[in-house]
Amino acid sequence: MLELKDVYAEVEGEGIEILKGVSLTINKGEIHAIMGPNGSGKSTLAKVVSGHPEYEVTQGDILFNGESILELDPDERAHAGIFLAFQYPVEVPGVTNTTLLRESYNTIAASRGREELDPLEFDDYIREKLDLVEMNPDFLERSVNTGFSGGEKKRNEIFQMAVLQPSLALLDETDSGLDIDALRVVSEGINKLHTSEDAVILITHYQRLLNYIVPDFVHVMRDGRIVKTGGKELALELEEKGYDWLDSQTTVNGEVK
Amino acid sequence: MTLNKQIELSVLHNLAAAETAPEERWADIRKESRSALSQTAFPHRKIEEWRFTDLRPITRTEFVPLENAGAFPVSGAETYFIPESEGSRLVFVNGRYQEELSSTGPLGKGVIFGNLAEYEDNPVVQEYLNKLLNYEEDVFSLYNGALLNDGAFIHLEKNAKAEAPIQVLHLYTDSAKPFVATPRLLVVAEEESDLTIVEDHVGLGNNVYMTLPVSEVKVKEGAHIHHVRLQRDSEEAVHVSRPIAYVEKNSEYHAYTITLGARLSRNEPRVVQEDEEVDFTLDGLVLIDGNQIADTHSVMDHRFAHGQSHQLHKVVVNGNAHSIFNGKIFVRKDAQKIDSFQENRNLLLSYEGLVNTKPQLEIFADDVLCSHGATIGQLDPEEVFYLQSRGMTEEKAKEVLTYAFALETIENVKIESVHKLLIEEVNRYTRANSIQKETV
Ligand SMILES: Nc1ncnc2c1ncn2[C@@H]1O[C@H](COP(=O)(O)OP(=O)(O)OP(=O)(O)O)[C@@H](O)[C@H]1O
Ligand SMILES: [Mg+2]
Repeated sequence: MLELKDVYAEVEGEGIEILKGVSLTINKGEIHAIMGPNGSGKSTLAKVVSGHPEYEVTQGDILFNGESILELDPDERAHAGIFLAFQYPVEVPGVTNTTLLRESYNTIAASRGREELDPLEFDDYIREKLDLVEMNPDFLERSVNTGFSGGEKKRNEIFQMAVLQPSLALLDETDSGLDIDALRVVSEGINKLHTSEDAVILITHYQRLLNYIVPDFVHVMRDGRIVKTGGKELALELEEKGYDWLDSQTTVNGEVK
Repeated sequence: MTLNKQIELSVLHNLAAAETAPEERWADIRKESRSALSQTAFPHRKIEEWRFTDLRPITRTEFVPLENAGAFPVSGAETYFIPESEGSRLVFVNGRYQEELSSTGPLGKGVIFGNLAEYEDNPVVQEYLNKLLNYEEDVFSLYNGALLNDGAFIHLEKNAKAEAPIQVLHLYTDSAKPFVATPRLLVVAEEESDLTIVEDHVGLGNNVYMTLPVSEVKVKEGAHIHHVRLQRDSEEAVHVSRPIAYVEKNSEYHAYTITLGARLSRNEPRVVQEDEEVDFTLDGLVLIDGNQIADTHSVMDHRFAHGQSHQLHKVVVNGNAHSIFNGKIFVRKDAQKIDSFQENRNLLLSYEGLVNTKPQLEIFADDVLCSHGATIGQLDPEEVFYLQSRGMTEEKAKEVLTYAFALETIENVKIESVHKLLIEEVNRYTRANSIQKETV
């Protein structure tokens, strides 16, 4: 579904290189976790995949369903089925959640060959998704993320994901900021949405999330590269030992050198 | 002021002098204004208050008296009637009252409104007309006074509540030659009265004309006025307005000015506090494009204690347009416990657009709460990306964000049809922008 081939990326126009050769393959139905120290490039990776104009891919390629998406605008990538739940969701004053979702749902539905919903149908549909993440309907008429608490913003991201039904969801530290109950609710929501037809990338610092959403693979990112790949037990090992023990064994893109 | 000083004659001086048959009505005011005008110089950019404003749309045009302009007949006036004001509508064409288009049914006990000319002998008119004006060395309001003829008059007696908003509709037609119109509005709201006014200036074509509206508003003890001012003049027009309001004890005056039209507009709203415990608003929304110049110079004069005032002035600039804002807030020596908010936010959509902004606080009291600020910015790229990542095209995202920026100021316009109309106007503006961008 998603294939990163030796991707190098830098800050557009500034020459600051952040991704230094990332290779990663994600198949339908899989859940991947990406862990790694602060500043290692996890969020940048997620933004590069979703087409943030601040970053430029200087080398390598990103394929989605077999085709390069490097030339696609962020909205075209969204239409293709890519969704990013932001580490720091942006506040958009004056644009209500409903306005955003109705607009988004219908454009994405049109381009993915799903049926558009009339306002009444959309209302029913959206209520069902609210229940999934146990979100108060009052949030629908509020401006997107504006004045939301940290946890409310994260929950709102997953609510949007539930509404838009992407085939590839990149969830950037969705767990940080959520209280214990909220983490459970949101995780269960993500699990319910996950099918054998779509894939999830979880970026996280905490093994705890992975108790709820069990990954097929865990990758460790350091300094713009994936330095180790393993199964879910790798997360436990990291939790116990931190990242420094990885220094003793050098791996490049998951291969021991 | 020295009499008979040599001043350079402007188009307004010449026009006032050319005025041949002075009306019988208000001969004193006309004469006084005419004589003051002849002693007052036309502004230019060396004067601080006019530093940024390009006045060439006035100085380079040969305006003629309305009678010689060959104005076209009005058509399609009904399009601009708001349904809420059926029975409470005063219509003017090129500044002249139109009885056939107006609609003046009863509007509640103690609510008097109509053509000013018919109320010449009314004691309220005699007491206040032209007396509330207070603009220093101002050729525009003097010209309006020199040609004083008809206008809109609204008087609310004590405790009177206007049952519907009064629409004061100014239509401007195309004409063979450019003319000058001088609309006048006098509003006197007695104790505990309540009124909503929708003042609407509409250019029916796209010719050059100049309109110089003057409005005088007196809000007496405990009275409330909600004043919507909508400027949709022709794209070639000049609009210079002088709306002034005096607020007495416990009164409220809330004005919302929406500036969409005119090649050059200069709006100088003023509110003068006359006693304690007042609450007033001077909000503005300006949406300009092309070569438009929109200039707002406002004054909020706090003269007594316990006042609350609010000014949110939002501006969207595209193309080569130029916005100027100067917001003066005076808090006089004894005006303690004033709570005043002022913010000018500018959204610049093009590289060629220009914004000059100058919030200006002059505070002589020590126990006051005044916040003020000005920002000039583009659309936030993070917000654009966020919306795009949810599937909106870049154009759509920008349209939605511009719309959201503008919306905040029109939320307080409570008249349903006007609120709807403003939303349509904002939509039209933002959509025109994205279409323009796509074709570049
Ligand atoms: N626009 C930018 N300009 C300069 N440096 C940038 C820019 N964007 C990212 N970086 C740098 O790139 C590095 C990777 O950032 P990124 O946000 O991807 O890290 P992360 O792995 O998500 O960290 P965290 O765990 O703290 O969220 C950081 O050192 C960051 O400062
Ligand atoms: Mg991050």
